[in-house]
Amino acid sequence: MELLQIKDLRIQFNTDTGIVHAVNGVDLSLQEGECLGLVGETGAGKTTTALGILDLIQTPPGKIVSGEILYKGRNIREMKPHEIRDLRGNEISMIFQDPMSALNPVIPVGHQIAEVIRLHQKCSKNEADRQMLAMLEKVRIPAERADEYPHQFSGGMKQRVVIAIALACNPKLLIADEPTTALDVTIQAQVLKMIRELQQEIHTSMLLITHDLGIVAQTCEKVAIMYAGEIVESGTAEDIFDRTAHPYTKGLFASIPSIDRKMRRLTPIEGLMPDPTDLPAGCSFGPRCPYVSDLCREHKPELQEIGAGHFCRCHFPSQKRSPEKEGQ
Amino acid sequence: MPVQLEVKDLMKYFRIPVGFLHAVDGVSFQLEEGKTLGVVGESGCGKSTLGRAILGLNEATGGQVIFEGEDVTHLKGASRKAYKKKVQIIFQDPFSSLDARMNVQSLIEEPLKVLGTYRNKTDRLEKVDELMDTVGLAGRYKTSYPHELDGGRRQRIGIARALAMDPRLIVCDEPVSALDVSIQAQILNLLADLQEEKGLTYIFITHNLSVVKHISDRIMVMYCGCLAEMADTDSLFEQPLHPYTKGLLSAIPVPSLHVQRNEILLEGEIQSPINPRPGCRFAGRCCYATQLCRAETPKPAELLPGHIVSCHHAGEING
Repeated sequence: MELLQIKDLRIQFNTDTGIVHAVNGVDLSLQEGECLGLVGETGAGKTTTALGILDLIQTPPGKIVSGEILYKGRNIREMKPHEIRDLRGNEISMIFQDPMSALNPVIPVGHQIAEVIRLHQKCSKNEADRQMLAMLEKVRIPAERADEYPHQFSGGMKQRVVIAIALACNPKLLIADEPTTALDVTIQAQVLKMIRELQQEIHTSMLLITHDLGIVAQTCEKVAIMYAGEIVESGTAEDIFDRTAHPYTKGLFASIPSIDRKMRRLTPIEGLMPDPTDLPAGCSFGPRCPYVSDLCREHKPELQEIGAGHFCRCHFPSQKRSPEKEGQ
Repeated sequence: MPVQLEVKDLMKYFRIPVGFLHAVDGVSFQLEEGKTLGVVGESGCGKSTLGRAILGLNEATGGQVIFEGEDVTHLKGASRKAYKKKVQIIFQDPFSSLDARMNVQSLIEEPLKVLGTYRNKTDRLEKVDELMDTVGLAGRYKTSYPHELDGGRRQRIGIARALAMDPRLIVCDEPVSALDVSIQAQILNLLADLQEEKGLTYIFITHNLSVVKHISDRIMVMYCGCLAEMADTDSLFEQPLHPYTKGLLSAIPVPSLHVQRNEILLEGEIQSPINPRPGCRFAGRCCYATQLCRAETPKPAELLPGHIVSCHHAGEING
């Protein structure tokens, strides 16, 4: 059964310079126990989508214009505020990108973990503290450090505290927004391993937001590639990594310096992401696409199924679909 | 190629209330003209301080920097100014390294004015046009301000400013880490082209191992202010000798489903560089650490030709 299903989600922000079309008709679905990677560059609308799921879009200036967010078949957009509050941090929780700013600097970390437990489980203070200490142990922070403040911890440990808060109530759905971007590579490896292990232990589904295709390859079974507020390609990890179809996805792979091969020059994607206040009429990737045609400039391509469960938003996906990625 | 830059036992300590922070602690290397030395390490390992000490932006506490045969460690006055024309830096963050109230033309003109190479305004503006062309900035951006431009274009301004003096050596301090991958590739290509055209020498500081592998001829791995390992790029990636380098390389997330790596997970975190005790600074996280490692700081030694490693047990570990 689908745990989360997003249908045609559209989110806009009203600014002085015009309407920012941040999310433009996103469809996503997530099965129970699955890990979905949502990949895209800065400004693609990944975080806005995630905040939309939790109804955390600041209104105004932001607004969910249309679409459905079905969690266990119920539309979150139609829920009452107190119902959403019961879900947030309890059944659906979020790991934020920057652990330095996600924690309250004047409250000891133990209290910050216990707070979410007390709020959702209506248990006694002692019971909450007991669970809090168990949580700290799970993320491998010594129990005696529960009374310390965030500034006394290193970046990696702070992110582990944030993970402990997110997982304290055994959520059904975990949204991790660039959980390791602020961390060093050896610490990143530790944190990713921990998230994976805990995810399996408590059978949580995960929506992992990242710009790093390497992390996705290690962690996710399903992948969705986002560009200018749209999903341009989605499918299993094999579909995306070995049967890449969309020119943007291909461009992303070509831009990454390879660790295994020697290349003289990289192949960047020319140009820039379109201005979200002024999106092109046709395909939003059209202005940067090497295969662009008149059809692309005039008509926006629909997301179409080009293989079982493999979707691509392109007028000409089949021609460019490579059986195995060229040169690898 | 002749050796252009020689760094001998360079040290940079910062005085802090509780003692000294050993940001760079005895780093030595040589760099040939027209080559690229990649400096990798995690945050706080001293790689940026090393770059700044070479430029003289932070005066070294000890050791020597020799550039084209001249000791440039403690330059003052006119000789310092002359040295600055030969070495330049590209900063990490194109969002904070540019004055928000200057337009593109004045930003690129500024170094030409400051170091007084072009007295005549017309000559200066001609040079600005030439520089904008070199780094691929269209002329129409001359009157734009930094906030109107994206990260990639802002970084091009930073590169144009560094190139203004026709330097011989450029320290690139994380020039692409604030950029998205598609833009990052554009900037890396530009840097490679400039090197080929002008025979520039680069010291390329980054934490991104894929990027450093792509651009460097030789790589230095730093850990907590010390040199852990230094070798030619291929040699380092094919045969890492230091336990830290091994862990670091295995932690790189590879964007492919078909790469199998034996994952070496490094437990623990970087030791504090404040008043460090003698002994190997990696010992706390190293699975091979012995009594000797905790007591005595290992000296860099050339274990294979051109492959330098600071580890007491590198020989045994690597059989």
